[in-house]
Formats: sequence, structure tokens, C-alpha cells
Amino acid sequence: MRSLAVTRRLLVGLAAVFALFAITVGAQAAEKKIKIGVIYDYTGPLAGGGSDLQALGAKIMIDHINSQGGVEGYMIEPIYADAQSKPEVAINEAVRLIEQEKVDMLLGFYSSAQCVPVAAKVDSLKKFMWITTCISPAVLKGRNLKYVFRPQVHGAMFGELSVDFLNSNAQSKLGIAPKKLRVAIIHEDGPYGSGVAGGNAGAAKKLGMNIVLKEGYSATAPDLSSLVTKLKRKKPDVILHTGYNPDITLFLRQAKEQGLRWKALIGHGAGYGVVDKLFDAIGDDASHIFNVDPVSIWKLDPKSLAPGLSDITAKVGAEYMKAKPDTKTKSAHVGMAASNALVFFADVLPRAIKKYGGIDAESLRKAALETDIAPGGTLLGYGVKFPKAGESDMMGQNMRASPVVMQYVDRKVYIAWPKVLQTIDPVLPLPKGSAYSKK
Amino acid sequence: MFAEFTEALFSIFFIETLINGLLLGGVLALLSLGLNLIFGVIDVVWICYAEIIMLGMYTIYFLHVDGGMPLILAAACGVGVTALLGWLTHRLVIGYLLQAAPINQLLATGGLLFFFQGAAMVAFGIEFRNLGVSLGSLALSEDIYLSWTRLLSFAIAAGVVVVLYQFLSRSYLGAAIRAISQDREIMILMGVNTKKLYLLTSAIGGGLAGLAAALLALQYDVHPFIGLSFGPITFMVCVMGGLGNMVGGFLAAFVFSELITIGGYFAELEWGYVLAFAFFIFAMFIRPEGLFARKS
Repeated sequence: MRSLAVTRRLLVGLAAVFALFAITVGAQAAEKKIKIGVIYDYTGPLAGGGSDLQALGAKIMIDHINSQGGVEGYMIEPIYADAQSKPEVAINEAVRLIEQEKVDMLLGFYSSAQCVPVAAKVDSLKKFMWITTCISPAVLKGRNLKYVFRPQVHGAMFGELSVDFLNSNAQSKLGIAPKKLRVAIIHEDGPYGSGVAGGNAGAAKKLGMNIVLKEGYSATAPDLSSLVTKLKRKKPDVILHTGYNPDITLFLRQAKEQGLRWKALIGHGAGYGVVDKLFDAIGDDASHIFNVDPVSIWKLDPKSLAPGLSDITAKVGAEYMKAKPDTKTKSAHVGMAASNALVFFADVLPRAIKKYGGIDAESLRKAALETDIAPGGTLLGYGVKFPKAGESDMMGQNMRASPVVMQYVDRKVYIAWPKVLQTIDPVLPLPKGSAYSKK
Repeated sequence: MFAEFTEALFSIFFIETLINGLLLGGVLALLSLGLNLIFGVIDVVWICYAEIIMLGMYTIYFLHVDGGMPLILAAACGVGVTALLGWLTHRLVIGYLLQAAPINQLLATGGLLFFFQGAAMVAFGIEFRNLGVSLGSLALSEDIYLSWTRLLSFAIAAGVVVVLYQFLSRSYLGAAIRAISQDREIMILMGVNTKKLYLLTSAIGGGLAGLAAALLALQYDVHPFIGLSFGPITFMVCVMGGLGNMVGGFLAAFVFSELITIGGYFAELEWGYVLAFAFFIFAMFIRPEGLFARKS
């Protein structure tokens, strides 16, 4: 009898230990998470210039992944931080998130002026950094960074595409041979504007175009009237412009008031990506402006994408409208960050966990280097592949990314170039009736 | 290089540049008037002055765009709101610091700058808001167009200088304000209510910020950080003209703006600012009391 009681007690005890063990393991499983520092500009001039919308895109995607139960048993724990439109704050926040909040990695970054120093710092701390937005070539070029990856298109590609677009359409649409085309390149003078303008100038020179003016200016300059006067003197056919906001709206307003005319104005992302603001600032004269950017995800033909992606596109759109119900035209910014974040959560992170056993920087790096997404495999339509060591002087740059040229007509966004994706025959030259059209 | 320079110099666009400089000067002059008045009378620099302008711009925006109020009326309300803000700034902050060290006064108005910025961000968000109104431009020739908004700024700045001058030299209150700016201690002994005069000056200074806001709102997007584009340059214009010297500040605004536009026309835009700031440093060396300050 006594031995039976002992056995029973032993069994109860064992059961209790087992239960305790099960609870602990269960709790551990539930607690498995990847802590991600998400940095964008929620305040300061860059916030309204597009960063706030990019941040929204990333947040929508993080919430979506968590609503699906996370990734391979890991829930995403984002810690959102505000770079306040200042590079020094971006660096401090990145270091704080890594050293004090002990995040596993960083994601985000809108401004190239922040990306350039932050990328070097994060890489030296041997932490993984996934850039959704900033495009300057200077972030990665010649730096051989190990832990920094950018699925986003880089700035020189922006600059080259607009020139390619002009080269292919100058003769047929404007009746001007590309070599005779008078091109002006104006840009904000940070790494972003300089990087894109460098791409513009390099490609235009190669094609023998006539660059009548190439000039940078500070994005916070309170007056651009001298620049407008110089442009009037140089009489360009086409203006290639790269800027943030409010410099873009200031330029457009002063150009209108001072009577600057052009045959085409091509913007390159950032402020030009916030369609509603352009139309608010200059009304219908914003019609027929071109913008080079990764495509607006809502403009892609769902059939050109891998199965299931168009449902996510629709969900991102619905969440976007829920967060910003006043939106008239959906900005490409939101889709850009959402798509680039999704590449990490759907491709890189699962491989790091399953194949390399963890979420440390080394595992994430190895997983990212094996990313091989064919065109059509992302919300943005382009594929993703990062160069192996020695393959490129831009380690960490997605070599399959490509922007498109969009054209805004009556507040609607159309794809004007490349030809295979066209949803509009580009309207060139600027039609008569616009305040900016040549008389 | 030289050929390019002479071609630029004798081009009709150089004349446009000179006129644009003059018109930008009108904007800067308008911005500096209120700040100068306040400094001249109360001897305190309001670092937050451009932020009061920003709040004036928001007032005009909301009344006109959301409230549907006619623009002129909205602008008048903007002037009223900023006048009230000016009055409150003195009543609640500066009034308690009149005897404090200048650095403490600066820190207090600097704190107000961040308070106004933060409050605007919380209340109105980071959106860039646009009045969506353009006054168009005046065509002088086929090539030269002048912005009506800037012409208006110029005219109003010139008008305000004349009115203020008349007010200060002809009216009883103006005489009292001038007297107090000449000797604060003596005026109290003579039974003058300095507190009342300080409040009145702050309200007038604030109202001038509202006037500037009305004209800036026609040219710039409204956002919580718009003050950063104008605050430093306004302050420099005032210092260059001789802080507190309204006519000096008015003239300095044109020197500054012409340097910016001419420099920006012949070289890259940024060189215009380099030239203007270099001139500012040089001016501070040769006339630290301000270019147009009267020798005391």
C-alpha cells in the first residue's frame, strides 16, 4: 500500500514537473520574437515630404505579418523611432535601438543623408540593416558593407531611366534629335539629389545630349527665383528635377509666377511621389508632370505578379485608406515600403531561421545573399537579387530593381515608360493650356 | 568663362534678377519689422518670432480653406491671432524675465520656439498645407514676369515702415514707446506705465508677424517647420541693420536679398547665400552695431 502511495506521489510529481516544463516551453515558444528597430521621419520637413507615408507602408506590412501569426514562430516586435528629418538624430536613434533596446536589426530610412552615415555605423556594429527607401548610390557604392541590404532601386537608376525615356521619345514626340535636346538638371544638394543628378548627367553625356544647366540647391532654401531666372535664360526643353518638399512646390510656384516654360518636367521620387500635394500646390498645372519612382503597386497588372501578391496589394491599399481617409490619389510611397518590407519578412527571414538557425546578423546576411526573386515576385513587380562578393562595387544593392516613369494626368497616375508596362502613351510635349507650356 | 559672365551680365535676365532681389527684400523686410520693433522697445530678441508667423499662417489656412472665410478676412483674423499671441508671449513669459540676464531671455524665447513647433505638430500634424491661391504675375515683357504676391509684399513692407514711422513720430503712444526705448528706468520714475507699453508693443509686433504670415501663406506651404527656413535669415537681417533700428533693418533686407539673388544668378544658387553670409560676417567686423546703426 505504502509503495503504491509513493508511486502515486511520484507520478503526480512527475506530471507536475512535466506540466511545468510544457508551460515553460510553451511560454518560450510564444515569446519568440524578432525585435526590429524601425526608423523613419515622423516629424520635420521630410515627414510630410514622403517619409510619413513610407513609415505607414512598413507598419502596415509588419501588422499584416503579425496578423498572419508571424514568421516561422517568430512574432515581429517593432520599435518605432523618429529620425526627426535630421541625420544626427537618425544615427543616435540607430545606436540607441541597437545598444539599449537590443533590437535584432534595423529597417526603414527615408533620407539618403541619414542612410549614408547610419549604414556605415550599423555595419561597424555588425548589425543587420534593411533599407526600404533611401536611394543614394553613396549609401553602398565602394563601401563593401556586409550587413546592409537595399531591395530598393538606387538613385543612378532613377537618373538613367529618365534620360533613356527622353532618348527614346525626343525625336518621335518632340521632333528634336536627342543630341539637340536641351536638358537642365536641378536637384537638392544632399546625397539623394546629387546621386540622381549624377545618373542624369552621366547618361545624358553618354548620349550626347546638350546639358544647358546642372545645379544643386539646399532643400530648405527660402527662395529659388535666381534658379528659375537662370533656367529661363538657358531655355531648356526638358527639366530633370530631384527634390524633397517643400522645395519642389516652391520651385513649381516660382516657376509659374516667373513664366518658366518647358516641354517636359520629369521629377525623381520623394516630393514628386506625393501626388495630392502637387495638385494642391499648383492645381491642374500639375497634370502631365512625369515622375520616376518604383511603380505604384496599385498600378501593376495583377496578372504580372506571382499568385497571392495582388491580394496583399489590395490589403495594403485598404489599410492605407483606413489610416489616411482623406487620400485622393494613393501615393507610391506606401506601396514601396510595404513591398520592400515584405521581401524581408517573406523571403529573407524564413530562410535565416530555417536554414541558418536564427535571427542574428550573420544568419540574416547569409539568408539575404541567397535571395533570388524573379521579376513579378514582389508587390513592386521587380525581382530581388543581391551581388555576391566581388560581383559589384555596390554590395547589398538589389541588382534586379528598376524604376518606371509615371505620368500624372488629372490626378490619375499612369505608367509611361518602359514600353512593356505602359498604361498611357506619354503625353509629350506639355499640352497647350498649361501655365508651363511653351507658347 | 568670361564670355559666359558678360553674356549673363548684359542679358535682360540680369534685370529680372535685380528686381527679384528687390522683391525678396520686401519679404525679408516685412519679416524683420516686428522683430526689430520688439527688440528696439523691450530689448528682448524673440527667437520664436518666425514660429508666431507659422501659427498665423495656420490660422489663415484653416479659416480660408476649411472655414470658407474670404481670404482678406482670414488674413485680418490671422493678424488678430498673432497680435494676441504676441501679447500673451509678453504677458506670460517675457514680462517675468525683463530683469533676467539676456541669455535667460534668449533661452526662454528659444523654448517657446520648440513649444510652438511641437504644439503645431501635435495639433495640425506634419502635413504640408497649401492655400491653393495664386495671385498670378505681372508680365513686363515677353520674358520678364513679376509675382504679384511679391510685389504686394514689397508694397506692404514699404507701407508698414511708413505707417510705423508716422505712428512712432507723430502719435502720443508712439512718443511714449520711443521714450521708453531710450531710457527704461527714467520713464518708470516719471510715472509711465511701462508694462502697458510693453504689452502694446508686443501685440503690434505680433500683428506684424500676422501680416507677414498672410503674404508668406500665398507663396509657401504651411507646415510646423516653416519657421526654420526664415527664422535665422530674419534674425541676421535685423542684426545687420542694427537690432532695434527699423529703417536699418528695412534697408539691410534689400542688401541681403540682392546679394542672395545676384550671387545665385552668376554662380550656383548656394553661392548667393555664401556671399550674403560672408558679407554679414564682414559687416559685423567693421560695424558690429549694425550697418545702418546710428553712432551713439
